[in-house]
Formats: sequence, C-alpha cells, structure tokens
Amino acid sequence: MAKLDQGPPNYKEMLPPVIVENYGKWKYHEIPRAGVLKHVGEASTLYSVRVGTPRLVSIDFIRDVCAIADEYCDGFLRWTTRNNIEFLLSDEAKVNPLIETLAAKGFAVGGTGESISNIIHTQGWVHCHTPATDASGVVKAVMDDLYEYFESMKLPAKLKMGLACCLNMCGSTHCSDIGIVGVHRTPPRIDHDKIRKGTEIPSLVASCPTGAIRPDPKNKSVVVNEDKCMYCGNCYTMSPAMEIYDAKNDGIAILIGGKVSNARSAPSFSRMVIPFLPNTAPRWPETTEAIRKIIELWIANANKGERIGEWVERIGWEKFFAMAELPFSDMLIDDYIFSRETFRTSAAFKY
Amino acid sequence: MTEKKTPLLDELEKGKWPSFVTEIKRAAAKNAASAELLQVLERSYAERRGHWKHGGIVGVRGYGGGVIGRYVDEPETYPNVAEFHTVRINQPSGFFYNTKTLRTICDLWEKHGSGLTNMHGSTGDIILLGCKTEHIQPIFDDYSEAGFDLGGSGSCLRTTNCCVGPGRCEFACYDTLEACYNITNEFMDELHRPMWPYKSKIKFSGCANDCTGSIARSDCSVIGTWRDSLIIDQEAVKEYAAKGYDIQGLVCDKCPTKCLTFNKETQELSVVAEDCTRCMHCINKMPKAIKAGKEKGATILIGGKSTIVQSAFMSWVIVPFMKMEAEDDYEEFKDLMRRIWEWWDENGKTRERIGETIYRLGMTNFLKGIEVAPVPQMVFRPRANPYVFWDQDQIDKSGTALDGSAL
Amino acid sequence: MAKGPARPEVKAKVLEYLAKVQKAKSRDVAVAIGETKSDVDNAVKELTAEDLVEYLYITTTFICLKGKVQTPGDFDADKE
Repeated sequence: MAKLDQGPPNYKEMLPPVIVENYGKWKYHEIPRAGVLKHVGEASTLYSVRVGTPRLVSIDFIRDVCAIADEYCDGFLRWTTRNNIEFLLSDEAKVNPLIETLAAKGFAVGGTGESISNIIHTQGWVHCHTPATDASGVVKAVMDDLYEYFESMKLPAKLKMGLACCLNMCGSTHCSDIGIVGVHRTPPRIDHDKIRKGTEIPSLVASCPTGAIRPDPKNKSVVVNEDKCMYCGNCYTMSPAMEIYDAKNDGIAILIGGKVSNARSAPSFSRMVIPFLPNTAPRWPETTEAIRKIIELWIANANKGERIGEWVERIGWEKFFAMAELPFSDMLIDDYIFSRETFRTSAAFKY
Repeated sequence: MTEKKTPLLDELEKGKWPSFVTEIKRAAAKNAASAELLQVLERSYAERRGHWKHGGIVGVRGYGGGVIGRYVDEPETYPNVAEFHTVRINQPSGFFYNTKTLRTICDLWEKHGSGLTNMHGSTGDIILLGCKTEHIQPIFDDYSEAGFDLGGSGSCLRTTNCCVGPGRCEFACYDTLEACYNITNEFMDELHRPMWPYKSKIKFSGCANDCTGSIARSDCSVIGTWRDSLIIDQEAVKEYAAKGYDIQGLVCDKCPTKCLTFNKETQELSVVAEDCTRCMHCINKMPKAIKAGKEKGATILIGGKSTIVQSAFMSWVIVPFMKMEAEDDYEEFKDLMRRIWEWWDENGKTRERIGETIYRLGMTNFLKGIEVAPVPQMVFRPRANPYVFWDQDQIDKSGTALDGSAL
Repeated sequence: MAKGPARPEVKAKVLEYLAKVQKAKSRDVAVAIGETKSDVDNAVKELTAEDLVEYLYITTTFICLKGKVQTPGDFDADKE
C-alpha cells in the first residue's frame, strides 16, 4: 500500500555542500558572462551555469544532464521557474570546462541578465485538449530566431516571454514582456448525436463561463448563443461533443509590456498589440518576424534598464503603434469586463 | 516498427535552440506510445489542430487529483496513445535535485510510462507525460515507495512553488524553500482532496522581484519584504563609483520615490527610509552596496489569476507585513489561510477563484469574514464614490430626531 | 476539513445521496443531507480510501459513486 500524504521530497537532501554552508548567508552576486552567475557567500563562492531546455524532455535527456552534473557538480543541479537548468559548481576552475562540454553537446548556455530567458509555455498540440496553436513548436521557432539574445546580454533590460496555447492563458502570458497567445475565433460545433449519447446537459450548460450555452430540451441537446461565446473551449473540456478547433481560423495574438517584478513600477498586464497571426506551422514565420520587429524597435529606442512595458508607457502606446507600424483596430480596444480603465480619460496624448 | 516519416516536425530539429522534437524522438526509440505521439503531432502540424480530449476520472486510491486524464480522439488509429494521461509529481522546493533522485524519477517513468516529461509544469510539478489508466496506481505506488508524492489537480490547493530563496539569493527576505516545504506538508488534505469551488494556488517569492510570478500566477502571493530602512555600505558604493558605474542615472534617477541621493562630492549614497517602497530596484542594481533591512518578513496578497473567467487579476495586499519564521512553524500564515479558504468555500460559486469571489461580494465583506482590519496599504487610493454599505448595527436605529421625538 | 475519523452516519448519508445523482459538489451534498461541509469532506476522504466514492475532475472537481460517471475514453469504446 502506497504511503499517502508524505509530501514532496525534502529539499534539504538536494542541496550541495556549497549551498548548505552559505544558506541564507549570501552577500552579493555578479554575472561574469552570459549564462554564468557568481554568488559570493560568507563561506565560499558558488557558480551557476544556466542552460535552456525545451521543457518537454525525455528521460534520456535528464540522464545526460545527470552525467554532466556528476562530472562537474558533485551530482547537484536545479531547474529555474523558467525551465532552465542550472549546474551548481563550487570550483571556479570547472566553469569553463563545463561550458565547453555543454557547447560540444549542443546545450544552449545563456538566459542571464539583460537577455531573453526561456519562454514559459503550455502543452499545445502535444497534449492539450483545447489548443488554438502549438506551444513547443512556436517557442522553438521564436527562440531559434532570437537565439543571439539568449546567449548574450545586450538587451536594454531583461526580456521574459510566455506562450499560452489558448485564451485560458495557462502559462504566464498575461504579465510577460511579450506574450504569445493562441486564439480560437469561432464558437464550438455541436455534435447533437454525441450529446444525446452521454453528456450530462446541466453540467455542460454550467461549464460555460459566459452563460452562452442553453439547454434545448426539444432536441435533448444544447444551443450556443454565438454572441456571448468567447471561444474558451471550456465546454469541450466537459463534453467532446463541443469541438472548438478550427484550423483555418485558429491562430496567434501578441501581447506586450507586462511584468511581475515590483522594481521601479508596479507589476503590469501585457496588452494586445497584434490581434491575429496565422498558424503557419511548422515554423510560424509571421509570428517570429512580428516579435523580432518589436524587440528590435525596443532595443533601438529604449533607455538602458527599461523593460518593454516601461519603454512603451514612457513614449505612449499611440506612439508605439506608429513606430512599430502596427495597425490599430477595434479588436485592440477592450470591450470585456474591466475595459473602462483602459480608456483615455484625458485630453493629453500624442500623434 | 517501421520508421514513419515526420517531415513537418523535422523542420523543428533545425536551429540552435534545443528541440522538443528531438526529445520526443529519443523517447520514441524506446517507447511505442511516444512513437505514436510523434505521428499524432505530425498530423496536428499538417492539419493545424489538436487531437486530444480531456477526461475526468483517472486517479489513485485515496486521492482526488494528481493525474489528468488525456485521450486521443482516434483511438483506433492510435491505440498506443488511446490513453495518455499526465501524472503530476510534487517537486522539491526550489527545483533542487541530486542526480540520484532524478535518475529514480527517470527509471520509474521508463518502467511505467512514455519516457517524456516536462521539467516542470507551470505550477511547479514534475510532469510525467503519457501513461495508460491501468498503470496509474502502480506508478503512484512505486513513486510513493521512492519518497515522492503527487501534486494537485482539480478544485484543490495546487502544488505550491517557491523561488530559489536563501538557497542561492542574497535578496531573500524569508526562507522560501522551508516555508514552501513546511506549508505544503501542513495542507496535504487540501492538496490531495479537492473540495473547494475551484483551484487555489500559493507561490512564495523571497523579494519584490517576485521570481515565481506569484502576483500574477497565484491566488495567494507571499512576497518577501522588510519594514525598516534598507542598509547601505558606503565603502561598496565608492567601489561602484570608482568603477565608473552611473549611480545617479541608473539607480537614483530610476528610484520610483526618489528617496535615494548620491552625493558626488563625498561619493556617498543616502536614503530617506520612510519614502522607500522597497521595490528592489536599487538593490538589484547595486547588490554589493545595498541590502534589505533587518526586520524581514513577507507581504501577503490575495486574488491573482489568469484571464478565465472574469479577466486576469493581480493579487492585492491583505497583510502588508507578516513574520515568516520557521521557529513559529508559520502558524500566523497557516491560520490566515484557513480563514481565507473557509470564507471562500462558504461563499464562492463553483469555478470561481477567490479573487472573483472577493470582487463579487466586496473586499469589505471579505475582510470582515477573515477578521483582518483594513489598512491604507491595501489600496492604491480610496473609493471615489459615497456608496458605502454602512454597517447598520453601528447606526442609531432608534428612529428618533435630535430632540428625542419620533421621526 | 474536519480532522479525525468521520462519523459513520455522515458517510452513510453521503453514499445515499450520491446514489440519487450522477455527480455533485461536496457543498451541495452537505446542504442536501444537512451536515457541515467540513464533515462531508472528511467522510468523502474516507469513502474514497474505501473505493466507494471517487473524485471527478471536469472543469471543477465533483464527487460521485465509484464508476458511476463515464470518461471520454468510455465514449470512444462505445461502452454505453
């Protein structure tokens, strides 16, 4: 009989000696080069070498990583909240040999300081039931394109990106510097036969967050009020009779300017700047190009230390749209619940 | 098995960023389900649509979560992934591992499942991606034997998560690793037996840089802070200045409250402590010279969530400062959480996150419910309307005029 | 959730109620059988360990008698 409620493994068993002896006694840190963090503690110094991962990894990948950690780090390593791996070294002399080994094996070293870090993302076509786009593939295409900004630290500030494969926005897109969000644009298609066969209608009706689904007792099925539907796919979660995918109309929206840190300014939401880009698998050229263009504009115009949202707020969103040559449309004006706070209640603005 | 072609996915093995397709292929070489996943995914790339369905019941005895049911939509075509469920394993605090633990995870997953994982899921769990229904209980039994437990899914306390904290960060204002570990163990029923209107998340960040994104991604955000003045080491300030670091431009000018002054003559940096909002900017920029104060703890914020249903919320302050000490067993925090969950469980509608419940019923109602007194730190600014729901118990209801006569 | 062993009469009432419905939220069960939710949650904890009740996660978590509600996998196998 399995043990219930034993909780997670104890982190104390996972800490290397260099961390145990400096635990809570770190003095400061530096970033000696892209991908390397140097933390100086009261007792000793720790070097962390950061590598990007695709998040979706095989057990053989983890075993490869373990072999490297055994060779260079006495068998200790950690992951970051952004799906990077950090090799933890107590011996400075091992840092460069480790980096050489990692490079030879094709690992991506970087993601520190003023760089683009790994993109937080969801499951997409690999495993999600309501995806409007793939997750891993888009991330791969975007990170390939922006790789130079991962392995260097030449951006105005850090750049954190997230991807959510539908508008439920799992993943961290709503407060990211750049958010990539899969969007459905059409209501679910009802398979009445399937519903009659085995769907519990009250539960299906209740699953809709906007109350767009009503029972249709005459047909022993349901009807969808298409004006109320915002294409979240929750009904498909409840019943496979409510298919939401629509290959020609599903795609990607781009949101920018969010952050979670309190540094300088309050945490902020990402704002939509491109309502739709097509799902051009396998490499999403429209999406990679649109993101690169925004990033290059930011690099060329931001002050040192300014994250994307801080830069755009300083120059004004109207100015951003002009500079980015992005069309402004009704789709970018909020008409959901908390829209009013986004309206300009001031006669001061730019052209 | 004959080698099936995946021309679209092969395009995603090109380029410098590590490829998930390569990873699926590595798993596919050993496992029939992973090989079939590759076929399903290639088809998704051709058709530009997903092929998975959600399923309700797949679990282990005694638990109400930790496993997510996933089924392919054409089981006859893809029998090996007809059932392809996710198992969530509760990660160690801070995602720290020794290689022995990681190899155990791999060996057990090789025995029972697809050999594919997510390190890690967005909430924090080790995600084991793809197994059959009949294997779920044996998977749990084996992992349990090896010292692991399942994470949360459904309307429960989801797996908690924390930043690297004092394990490797001089900014940490409390021990996030221990708090996460201790508090997770306290709330095992809440994590494993879903009983609430909807999910509830806690994330522990050691400072206001909020590396776990707690303010955006958790119903309860525990963000490290301090109460007294930040501490400046003037010798270290001089070292920064000597190296030509632009203290005025990059630190003082960007301070949101302009509470820092750099004296070019003396090369000293001073702070007006009562004007500082502890945003972390100056500490981030000059970690050798500026440190958090000595009286450390955390700010507790409530209500964060993503867009579904009523738009994204960021957590807002309910306790400006709370001590977070292991010696006290985090009792004050645990008590607060119990009161919060009880109020939400009593008042929340099905599939309503706590932020939405508070928004619907009012912050005043919530604060009374959890017995927390209002303070100005809870709001950016006070209300602009006079529509106060006066507590009628505090009002003279005698129905008489000033001279005592009946109204 | 209440601590300690669940009261047998609450467990019996939960089973009786769940026999009448497809699935339910434990709050609704508590209201219907006139017990506190905390007691119902505790009873459910024991009933799931006894394999009589199971949790069901479809957009939110419900409880139901073990085996009563189908999964999408069952739909496909045309078991109904």
